[in-house]
Amino acid sequence: MATARTYDPELLRQSRMRRANAQRLRKFGLHLILITLLVVMLYPVIWMVFSSLRPEAEIFGGLGLIPTTWTLENYRTGWNLFGDKTFGLFFVNSFVICALAIAGNLISCSMAAYAFARLNFRFKWLWFSLMLGSIMLPIHAQLIPQYIFFLNIGWVNTILPLVVPKFLATDAFFVFLMVQFMRSLPPELEQAAMIDGASYWQRYWRIILPLTVPALVTTAVFTFIFTYNDFFSQLIYLTDIDKMTVPVALRLFLDPSGGTSSFGGLFAMVLVSIGPVLGFFLASQRLLVRGIATQGFK
Amino acid sequence: MAHVTLEALTKRYGGNAITAVDNLSLEIEDGEFLVLVGPSGCGKSTALRMIAGLEEITDGAVWIGDEFVNDVHPKDRDVAMVFQNYALYPHMSVFTNIAFPLQIAKLPKQEIRRRVDEAARILQLQDFLKRRPGQLSGGQRQRVAMGRAIVRDPAVFLMDEPLSNLDAKLRVQMRSEIHRLQRRLGTTTIYVTHDQVEAMTMGDRVALLKDGVLQQVDTPADMYNRPANTFVATFIGSPAMNLFHASLGENGDDGSRLALGNQALHVSKHVFDRRPGLRAYANQPVIVGIRPEDMEDTALVPDGAQGNRLHSKAELVEALGSDQIVHFALDAQHVDVVDPDLLTDIAPEPGTEGSFCIARFSAKSQIRNGDPLELVVDTDRLQFFDPSSGLAIHH
Amino acid sequence: MSTVTAPAARVAPAKRPARAIPKGRGGSPVRRAENRAAYLFLLPWFIGLFGITIIPIAASLVLSFTDFDILSPPSWIGLDNYEKLLTGDRRFMNAVDVTIRYVGFSVPLILVFSLTIAVMLNRGLSGLAIYRSLFYIPSLIGASVGIGILWREVFGERGIFNHFIALFGFEGRGWITHPNYALDVVIALNVWTFGASMVIFLAALRQIPNSYYEAASIDGASALQRFRRITLPLLTPVIFFNMVLLTIGSFQSFTQAFVVSRGTGGPIDSTLLYTLYLYQRAFVHLDMGYGSAMAWLLLLAIAAMTAFVFWTARYWVFYGDR
Repeated sequence: MATARTYDPELLRQSRMRRANAQRLRKFGLHLILITLLVVMLYPVIWMVFSSLRPEAEIFGGLGLIPTTWTLENYRTGWNLFGDKTFGLFFVNSFVICALAIAGNLISCSMAAYAFARLNFRFKWLWFSLMLGSIMLPIHAQLIPQYIFFLNIGWVNTILPLVVPKFLATDAFFVFLMVQFMRSLPPELEQAAMIDGASYWQRYWRIILPLTVPALVTTAVFTFIFTYNDFFSQLIYLTDIDKMTVPVALRLFLDPSGGTSSFGGLFAMVLVSIGPVLGFFLASQRLLVRGIATQGFK
Repeated sequence: MAHVTLEALTKRYGGNAITAVDNLSLEIEDGEFLVLVGPSGCGKSTALRMIAGLEEITDGAVWIGDEFVNDVHPKDRDVAMVFQNYALYPHMSVFTNIAFPLQIAKLPKQEIRRRVDEAARILQLQDFLKRRPGQLSGGQRQRVAMGRAIVRDPAVFLMDEPLSNLDAKLRVQMRSEIHRLQRRLGTTTIYVTHDQVEAMTMGDRVALLKDGVLQQVDTPADMYNRPANTFVATFIGSPAMNLFHASLGENGDDGSRLALGNQALHVSKHVFDRRPGLRAYANQPVIVGIRPEDMEDTALVPDGAQGNRLHSKAELVEALGSDQIVHFALDAQHVDVVDPDLLTDIAPEPGTEGSFCIARFSAKSQIRNGDPLELVVDTDRLQFFDPSSGLAIHH
Repeated sequence: MSTVTAPAARVAPAKRPARAIPKGRGGSPVRRAENRAAYLFLLPWFIGLFGITIIPIAASLVLSFTDFDILSPPSWIGLDNYEKLLTGDRRFMNAVDVTIRYVGFSVPLILVFSLTIAVMLNRGLSGLAIYRSLFYIPSLIGASVGIGILWREVFGERGIFNHFIALFGFEGRGWITHPNYALDVVIALNVWTFGASMVIFLAALRQIPNSYYEAASIDGASALQRFRRITLPLLTPVIFFNMVLLTIGSFQSFTQAFVVSRGTGGPIDSTLLYTLYLYQRAFVHLDMGYGSAMAWLLLLAIAAMTAFVFWTARYWVFYGDR
């Protein structure tokens, strides 16, 4: 028995609508869940932004955001909280360390990565597995002898213990990141350069390094964030207030005898302190996210 | 400029488990264009890379000119190489790509400028010097790769399948451009390809490799007309030569009868005169090779000799415009040369006897699918091979 | 049809006298040059590997058998430090307990959160890039002192968390000053930074070909079945990767517990993470030998944990090529 099939535009339209509606509803639900979660997660940060702009007395008043009076007073108090040692000094200290750490990581890690990714040499597998293994090592296992050593050569209370190791490719994680990237470059590029007469250094400097820029940017951004946020080693090595970095200075607020009298100033400085990280992130977002993703793959 | 000598060149991988190149000996003359051809995996690229110094030599020797170069670093061998993927530096402009070897050699700036401009003029790249490789078409990239090779004025050009990334039409055009360029510069060139048409059209001589072993090295014409064995016979020429088991009759005064399944051809006396070795195969099995182009529709050759005709049915006619490829069944045992690149023909349908044979007819032929077929075979051009060794019977 | 394997005909190469191959040139100079270049490129790394990593670790082992306060030379005391740690130090035992609870709650929670959000984001929502960035922000700043300070205030007696739960009628308290809850606040801060794992999951999810899901749908699999039978098995390598990273990282957490407890590990040692106790012993009390013994126990514990996780991986991680 055959049923006649007639083309019914109305039927088609309805079915299309039904499907579109279901889809829209599902997506709306997902958006709702995600946005709620984000608001709950980020609310404290947003609240802090507004709190830093309201008078001291209003800060712990409640969940509300909008202050009765807007003021920048907290920023002034916070910035100058330690007398003539302003946060300007701490920022300069932090940035100097970060800049040197970035330079060190870019140079030393890319050199090591070039050897691991593109050259053949004796005991390569041994060194490579040591490099991989050192990624997982807890820093605490090396910390105490390092400290004693740096103390003995007079480097404590200087930035050298924080910076010099970066020039020795001790952040093996970045070596690994660059190895993965360099391995993906076609071997013929270097073979062509080799036949054209390029030395190993020229192959590294003129061919491989310019093509590794995405991994270099990822390394630079992450080095900045890790170094800038690093608290433990800066806490140990920088005790003199003239040498203090932003996180070490913020810690002074925590001292029971310290400046917790001004929560407004504290919040203002906390915000100023996370500003550079957020700024760096937003400026290099795309590259960064790709960089994190490649940690796991390829 | 230099001649290149390979002496028993051998490459083994994986603790001698795999032999990629086996005892390859070749003499490439000064200014010669030699094509290394063979199916994929035959070791031709490995051989080229050993000449370039990119691959370590397991055994044997390479001379460039009179210098023994086994232990010479690639950069000191005075060779230039064009890679299959061109290996253009993506972050450099076309100018810098071409200038790179000269910059490395620390030539003065004006000299570099002059030589790059000269190369760009020859290759018509003047308008693209500021672009990056990513902004070029396939053919332009290929020319930049050539530019990087010629700007150095090396003793030897090494080219590893330089045209295989181009589409068919561009490939034909670039083929002749490279050929002309090589003629003009007169630089010794070793050119690797898997494409037998490239090999035949470009090479002064062609060296055919299979499984790392040199099968034959000859001029294209000799390669085609006097293949050394069944592999060469089927690799060179398209469609491939038809090979069948056949048997020769008694040597007669005017030649001999060649039984091909239930049909027969007459092989005249002067074929035997040219191949004295063939007489020993009287009353013996041989492998006979018939090139598709040595068969023609009888209708177009009215006075063809009666003894040189074959009868069958046209199973499939492929009209190419210039000529027609006709597939037909022949009641004779087909010889398959083992070659991973070629698919074996699907066996003829049940009910049809024997195996397929391919003929190339002139476009004028009126043959249609399913028509009865009568064709003339040019028996003077038949090839004969020993059935046990597969070697050609010449002498 | 019969087959003739291609003949091994060797063609006489050329009409010229064979040349003698020069002898006595063993080894490949190209390979030797490459070897030398590689070691030069690795030179800084070698100095770092030995000077900053291997020798200090070995020195740390030696120090762990001594009593050393920096001011006077170390004195050899054998296994005393270890003995004291494992039998006589109640704060140490407490620190181990706190750390295990911290890692044991954080890691699974982060994995569940990050995977759930990643799967939700991977369903073709618009604004994926914005969501991804916003969820990632806590990972960027979560390890900073500043956020630790913020957390202190949010969960303090007067903090907005109490205002928030008051909306639902719950009574607030000083969460960070109560020994039963202070660790939960530190764990919550760690879980808050799930964005980094989520980004990795998201990248992995996007590599699963859609055709798998299409095929499964046609085979009649429901959304939940598709997740359990396709997504989850294919993601196991990434789950494993994240798990190893998170476990190793959480064992070494320091800043947040330090900030929330003002460096004390309190109240009543309830947030005294292992590394925090190590810091106190070594750098506050200058008990370097004792600290080294603690560092070595941590190293061994992490090595054992990692080995264990890798061992279990054979039973639940799916690699496509096996």
